Amino acid sequence: MAQATADTKSPGLATDAHVKYVLTLDTKTDELDYWMTEHLRLNGAYWGLCALHFLSHPEALPRKETIDFVLSCQHDNGGFGAAPGHDAHILSTVSAVQILAMVDGFEELDARGKGKAVVGKFIADLQNPDSGSFYGDEWGEEDTRFLYAALNALSLLGLLSLVDVDKAVSHVVSCANFDGGYGAKPGAESHSAQIFTCVAALAIAGRLDLVDQEKLGRWLSERQLPGGGLNGRPEKKEDVCYSWWVLSSLQIIDRVHWIDRQALIDFILGCQDPEKGGFSDRPGDMVDVWHTCFGSAGLSLLGYPGMEPVDPRYCMPKKIVARILGE
Amino acid sequence: MASHNVARTTRVRTEEQRLQEIEKINKYRGLEDQIRSQAALGTYTLQLYDLTTKLLRLNPEYYTVWNVRRRCLLSCLLSTTTDQPASDTQDATPGAKNQQSDGDVLQSEVAFTMPLLMEFPKCYWIWNFRQWLLSQAILRLPLPAARKIWETELGLVSKMLNRDQRNYHAWGYRRYVVAQLESPELDGKSMAEDEFAYTTTMIQANLSNFSAWHNRSLLIPKVLEQRGSDDKARAAFLAEELDLVRDGLNVGPEDQSLWYYHQFLVSQIVGDGNGQSITPALTVDEKITYLKREIDEITDLLEDYDDIKWIYEALLEYNLALNRLEDKSGGAGNLQTWLTKLRALDPMRMGRWKDVEQQAK
Amino acid sequence: MESLSDTQWDVVISGTGLQQSLFALALSRSGKNILHVDPNEYYGEAEAVLSLQEVDEWAANHQTAEGDGVFAAARATRPGGAESLSSRAYSLALAPQLIHTRSELLSKLVSSKAFRQLEFLAVGSFYILQPKATESSSASSLSRIPSTREDVFTNTTISAKAKRGLMKFLKFVLEYDAEPQTDVWRSRAGDSLASFLANEFKLDADLQAYIITLTLSLDGKISTEAGLAAIHRHLTSMGVFGPGFAAVYPKWGGLSEVAQVGCRAGAVGGAVYMLGVGIKDVQKTSAAAETPEEYNVVLSNNMTVKSKAIVKGLGKPTGEGRRLSRLTAIVDSSLPSIFKTVTEGAPAPAVAVVAIPAGTALGEDGVSSEYPIYALAHSSEAGECPTGQCVLYLSTLTTPSAQAHLQKALSSLLASLSQNSQEPPKVLYQLYYEQTGVDTPSVNIDGQTAEFSLLPLDLAFNDAVLDPVKSAWEMVNLNATDEERAEYLVFTDREGADAEDEFDD
Repeated sequence: MAQATADTKSPGLATDAHVKYVLTLDTKTDELDYWMTEHLRLNGAYWGLCALHFLSHPEALPRKETIDFVLSCQHDNGGFGAAPGHDAHILSTVSAVQILAMVDGFEELDARGKGKAVVGKFIADLQNPDSGSFYGDEWGEEDTRFLYAALNALSLLGLLSLVDVDKAVSHVVSCANFDGGYGAKPGAESHSAQIFTCVAALAIAGRLDLVDQEKLGRWLSERQLPGGGLNGRPEKKEDVCYSWWVLSSLQIIDRVHWIDRQALIDFILGCQDPEKGGFSDRPGDMVDVWHTCFGSAGLSLLGYPGMEPVDPRYCMPKKIVARILGE
Repeated sequence: MASHNVARTTRVRTEEQRLQEIEKINKYRGLEDQIRSQAALGTYTLQLYDLTTKLLRLNPEYYTVWNVRRRCLLSCLLSTTTDQPASDTQDATPGAKNQQSDGDVLQSEVAFTMPLLMEFPKCYWIWNFRQWLLSQAILRLPLPAARKIWETELGLVSKMLNRDQRNYHAWGYRRYVVAQLESPELDGKSMAEDEFAYTTTMIQANLSNFSAWHNRSLLIPKVLEQRGSDDKARAAFLAEELDLVRDGLNVGPEDQSLWYYHQFLVSQIVGDGNGQSITPALTVDEKITYLKREIDEITDLLEDYDDIKWIYEALLEYNLALNRLEDKSGGAGNLQTWLTKLRALDPMRMGRWKDVEQQAK
Repeated sequence: MESLSDTQWDVVISGTGLQQSLFALALSRSGKNILHVDPNEYYGEAEAVLSLQEVDEWAANHQTAEGDGVFAAARATRPGGAESLSSRAYSLALAPQLIHTRSELLSKLVSSKAFRQLEFLAVGSFYILQPKATESSSASSLSRIPSTREDVFTNTTISAKAKRGLMKFLKFVLEYDAEPQTDVWRSRAGDSLASFLANEFKLDADLQAYIITLTLSLDGKISTEAGLAAIHRHLTSMGVFGPGFAAVYPKWGGLSEVAQVGCRAGAVGGAVYMLGVGIKDVQKTSAAAETPEEYNVVLSNNMTVKSKAIVKGLGKPTGEGRRLSRLTAIVDSSLPSIFKTVTEGAPAPAVAVVAIPAGTALGEDGVSSEYPIYALAHSSEAGECPTGQCVLYLSTLTTPSAQAHLQKALSSLLASLSQNSQEPPKVLYQLYYEQTGVDTPSVNIDGQTAEFSLLPLDLAFNDAVLDPVKSAWEMVNLNATDEERAEYLVFTDREGADAEDEFDD
């Protein structure tokens, strides 16, 4: 674990390799894994596009094809599936909205897709009227990930008024634990990724006053392990994706300085494949687009030179979020 | 699409291997096409159902196919109930209905997901599907039969947790199953005592199992209420819990899980307004006595473990809390000493120690 | 079929002990012509398991004080006069050993796919038999040795303070071979582990005995260096194959099973096997410049064969060997209390270890043994006796009174296991013998002849036993490429299990 830092004292960010890696993702149609992961295609497009943005190469993916693909995943009810022919789900819907936001495509959604309003209604209909929480789809699974996805997408679409935000907020509050963290539902153990969804949802709703920031900051800062990487829960291994979940939450509550910035940068850089591009969960493992997105997002949050600043609530370029929200 | 714990290797395929893989892709996509084209027609038949079995064994992450399977079950394997959510399966031919009872169908579905769950214990969709199956059991089966299915499910969760003691899905699912077994729909009664004992077992098997400590903290108020514990019994309970976690700290002072649970108990003593208090009726003097005892015990750990940052952090926090209880102003006595230790032992969180120092001033 | 004497053998292997059998396994895919003989009528040599009838015959042949160079002073008795024991229902191991889950032997069995023919059972708790100080009676009691943090946590007999010392030691051992830990013990590497534990970790005599038992040191005087290595092996093996156990035992007879699997692989690979045949004499043919050296091997059935190489065991000690006294007893109880599962989710153990530390009073007259006595208890799950019975394998270093001490130890152990003042379990059959072994296994290579020394007498498999096998393999594969060396004992499944197409069900 310790040698991760030693080996990678200053390898630098292999930007070109990463851009190339993201661009080749959609060409691997002769690999079985490409087809076995189709249920994540739209999410994958979002992760890839994000990575390109954070690496300051937003132009690398052609805009029109991107929009065409996103719209091809939309159902009549407004929701998006992960790929054409896949059922609508809130997770792919938020990815669709985020991609369209990043390529400035909301007008195309109205002109060539089913329109923003229908998307808004699809999401709003998934709110549980009793608890304020959200379902993922018609089959009724509930999770704070879905609540976050709803607030994220609706706020970008300017349609937050379609749902009961206060109820959603009180649901998030009911997911808080004694250790300062949040879980997937009331009573669930604190988990870094769920904390991100809860804290970012509260941030979008403008209710960070409800977070025990001192306690949460303490818990989050303890996620950093001696090797510099961050883990998701106590006594678990570090993983690059937590660079995002933990770090963005720390940023939202203004406590990034509670961890060792340089050690984390070294850890993340140690997880890149400098030749073929992409990031992995830990040094020496297989790279994938998910870790590539969150690895580069983490570096951006840490202020790594040459990177596009990221908005910790949305995992999107700051300037795009600011433009859309008029902040 | 997200790989974890897979070693980075350079993949070189021979032309033969590449062709073999393409052959596999074609078979997989052929199966997928059949499912999609039939589902697009809205005819959820037994044949389509069999195709989903094939595909899900290859790829249990394919959530749309799980949905197709549910529609097939509703349309041609399970009996029609009035409680069903509206679906587009109403025109399915009743003749295709299988003679098997709903109970058999649900049992065999549960059995189908079993090996998948063992192989992919972190796949959300398998857990969701099982949860849906079990909720169907409540809707459709006579109470004893439904209850039996849910009880068996609790056994499965224990098995999963023996294989991976921290599985986030499994713990969440366990709470869900227990809540159902306790519910009036299954003619249940509280299982808080059993579940509390289960956390003890899991903790004894692995002190670092924070998932178990967490669950324990949730069960305590239920257990106390159910026992009808008076203030004296509650105080005794608190003392026992403190002993337990202190025994843990005695052998594992570097363990975060133990310290978090200790902090939880201390928050119950101090009563900082977070959650339900174990002993709601402590006077300020009693709170001070309890807290001082904890501080003494922790100080004693320093004799053998002088390089564990958690000890200094606890002393710092608990002394500050003690000051607040005693309404003393000014920092805790050894604040500077502990902060110096913390900075030396835990330089990664230097920024935090600076903030703590700033605040204490 | 070509006759044996006409065949040009690449290797003649003599003896089916563990090392020769692993050697046969290593060559099982080589395509070499191999003749594998053993003078015994059974597989496994010193690692063999024998039925009761075979044990009786074997004991009769090993009665004398000198024996055959390995085994001696054997005596089989039926204390209960139980003549009716069904011979085939039992298989007693001559030299049972535990295998730690981190042992190189297991990784070799896995990489060679030989593990598929083996069934591994969990070795459960380690106990110490201690005299009950508080009572006037001579009864002793068993204390379970805590060897994980959770064991220490749940233990109620060790004081809080002592627990800290123990935990600090257990933590220390986990990284004992790295700095700064090495600075602590290197200068005292040769001191006894007991003194190191006392001085460095302030462990009292009881805790010292616990730790030393975990090393399974035969003389109890293990050095700090060797002791730390042994404890490290034990602790890091814990939980590797599942919760709650650090070692395994192959069902149906331990290392004998491993040896047989090796021979079976050899046979599948085309080697010819002959039991009851040994090597009587070997003559080197004079090597001309261009032809490689060859041997004329005269077998005990007077057949002469030609071979390029010979691999065999020496079969007797060179110089000073160590001697171990063994007492094996079949008892008429399943002894459920020592085979309890103590960890949630752990498999039921089939083997338990009981130690009686050196100096422990044995029985009423206060006699004590100079060396520790160990008992490996095998439940019927180990496949060595019928349900409702157990096999206890006791051993201690040989002294003039070792046999008497083992006998007393057996009685004390059985007395401590009798429940609720009932009669202690009875011994149905017992076998005493002495075994000679070495401290460090070696191999003597001369030209194309490899001769293995005796094996060590350890109670847990010693990975050093694998080195001579590798040396012998290198001897017959002098020109092996790096790739071939990397493939040593790495095989794919013969059945071609991965060929089945998951897309056609």
